[in-house]
Amino acid sequence: MTTIAKPLKYQFKAMNSPCEVQFDCNDAALAGELGRLAEAEAARIETKYSRYKEDSLLSRVNRSNGRPVPVDTEMMALLTYADNCYRLSEGLFDITSGVLRRIWRFDGSNKVPEDHEIAALLPLIGWDRVVLGPDNITLAPGMEIDFGGLGKEYAVDRVLMMLAAKTDVRILVNFGGDLRVSGPRNDGSPWRISIESVEENRKTEGMIAISSGALTTSGDARRFLLRDGVRYGHILNPLTGRPVMGAPRSVTIAAPTCLEAGIMSTLAMAKGRDAEEFLRDEKLAAWVLR
Amino acid sequence: MQLSNRNKGRIGATLCLVTANLFSTTGLVQAQEVQNAFDEPATNGPGNIIMDGAVMYYRENNSRIQAIEPMASYTDYADNGDIFSIKLTADSLSGASPFGATPWIAPQNFLSPTSVTISGDDGSTGASGGVVVTDPVTQMKILQTTAKANELPLNPGFQDTRGAANLSYTKALASRTRVTFNLNGSIERDYQSYSGGASIAQDFNNKTTTISVGVNYQHDLSKRLYGTPTPFAVMTGVFTDGTKSENIVSATAGITQVITRNWLVQLNYSYERATGYQNNPYKVISVLDPVTGAPQRYLYEARPDKRTRNAVYIGSKLAVGSFVTNLSARYYHDSWGINSITANASEHIPIGTRGYIEPGVRYYHQSSADFFNYFLLSNAALPQFASADNRLDKFNAITASIKGGYMLNDQIELYAMADYYSQTKAGTKGLLPGNNGSLNLFAGVKAISVMTGVKYRF
Repeated sequence: MTTIAKPLKYQFKAMNSPCEVQFDCNDAALAGELGRLAEAEAARIETKYSRYKEDSLLSRVNRSNGRPVPVDTEMMALLTYADNCYRLSEGLFDITSGVLRRIWRFDGSNKVPEDHEIAALLPLIGWDRVVLGPDNITLAPGMEIDFGGLGKEYAVDRVLMMLAAKTDVRILVNFGGDLRVSGPRNDGSPWRISIESVEENRKTEGMIAISSGALTTSGDARRFLLRDGVRYGHILNPLTGRPVMGAPRSVTIAAPTCLEAGIMSTLAMAKGRDAEEFLRDEKLAAWVLR
Repeated sequence: MQLSNRNKGRIGATLCLVTANLFSTTGLVQAQEVQNAFDEPATNGPGNIIMDGAVMYYRENNSRIQAIEPMASYTDYADNGDIFSIKLTADSLSGASPFGATPWIAPQNFLSPTSVTISGDDGSTGASGGVVVTDPVTQMKILQTTAKANELPLNPGFQDTRGAANLSYTKALASRTRVTFNLNGSIERDYQSYSGGASIAQDFNNKTTTISVGVNYQHDLSKRLYGTPTPFAVMTGVFTDGTKSENIVSATAGITQVITRNWLVQLNYSYERATGYQNNPYKVISVLDPVTGAPQRYLYEARPDKRTRNAVYIGSKLAVGSFVTNLSARYYHDSWGINSITANASEHIPIGTRGYIEPGVRYYHQSSADFFNYFLLSNAALPQFASADNRLDKFNAITASIKGGYMLNDQIELYAMADYYSQTKAGTKGLLPGNNGSLNLFAGVKAISVMTGVKYRF
């Protein structure tokens, strides 16, 4: 019996997350070359779609103040995708809901926004108020969009597909816990992924073995508000402008692509107490922590 | 926080399709391993030109019709989504075919016009196995053929060639809209057919739903040599009606729905209205003695000059890995009283990484036309319409087929097909008057066809 060689890792930082690509081979030159490609693609996506970068295409859309902004094929495809997710989830997945972050800061304090603060923001939320033309988008003044719920997942899928088209070496792409593999490891064994614990005093919650597809986790137990004995988790319902009550601490989902896994875990969290029932109905491989 | 039941359990399946579409739009396809060269019909993608050449051989049992049909096509899939194609087909048919007359226990003589010139007065053997005689009144040359006793009479010496051309152009108007125009022409010695049509297809729901509608117009000319017989004219070999024409307008509507990434279903409806000459100028119906069943004369058939056809088709295509299961059913009804159903099943099976075979089976059943009869009786008045054409009879048919293909390399595909077709009488067996139960009136065929071809991609 020989021990399985550890995969080569290429690490970098993008999208406010630690990112890495693992290569199941010992060809450091290949890993370096493809790793740099992965890093460049992640940077490209971040530059184009980051809400924090003023010169990103997304920021230009958010500053448009009611005027139509022309977008390219890729962004139109992502907006169409977001449109589909909005309709499929009947409004629970809404890329216009980011403005709620102005009043909800989940810093462990008791600063729960007042009703009038929430009411003032609700008119700025609602994907159905966005006008999507054949090659442009128009936001009402004050509205904003962001790709928080799908940008990183899209980047993982794209990087994995790009690299898999260039090499038969088995790879794992992991951007801040959203990950996808190109197949089982060379010896046929699965990749072993540890789920990060939501408890501060434990490092990992367990291991998941995957041979294909993607894995994402939603939930962050450190982000909450506590007032009058009520715990407000950080998952917000775009329809009410308030946190989802009774949401699991975390949901981990396996799916063919990172985007599907990410959207479905966000939706499961948004289902609150019904998260498990939702996941059962959808027949998804999922791990829910309460 | 309730999702309505409408989407219950269906979100993941739809999301899967939507995600695949996102990556194909942004220039990346899912990195799935291609296990068989026929998994991805990349040869039909934009930027390809395909040349296809094939030959088909068709043969009916009892040395009836046989045909050889070479075909060639050129299809250009342009980068902008437009598709242009041209297809040329030639047919060479020969052999004998049933023409409506009933069998009899004694030989029967039939007269048809001919151009064969003869020398002498006593006739001589014609080119097609008959005897050429001269009508004493009109001095016209007439071919006399004789059908053997107890056998279904066949039209001997049938020989024809046909040339056909098909032009088709599909224009992508927008990423979700396509229009297609097509023109067809087919010419043989005694028949011509021309048609033109247009259709539009529109994709919805991220190209998971496609709705299409189309219209078509067809104009046919029947120009039997030496004239077309008047309906119910006696088969004397002399008739003078000229070229007859038929017009057909048709409309189709269809919807194709992608249910999951691997499963699509299709529903089509078609309507067709034909007006004008719809007889087969070679088909007759025997007029029999009501007691003995002996043939007394033969009349050219008479069909209505209007026919309305309706058909509904439903099909399903399901892929599991490299395996593809095709199932379809079709229901057809026309104003002549024919109802038919067709059921079709085939399985595409990968062989290694470069080949496939596809066995298939088809069942067909039709009822007879209202005016179909094996014969008329001499003591009865003529009906308004009558035909003994075996294609209007009530019958079942089974087709067993096998197809296969092999990719020699990225550019060349060899393919072949063979099928066996068998018609059997459905319902009550036809019987002649008198004590002639051993004579078989059903003229259904059994046939084999084989085809082989090569596709080349530039």
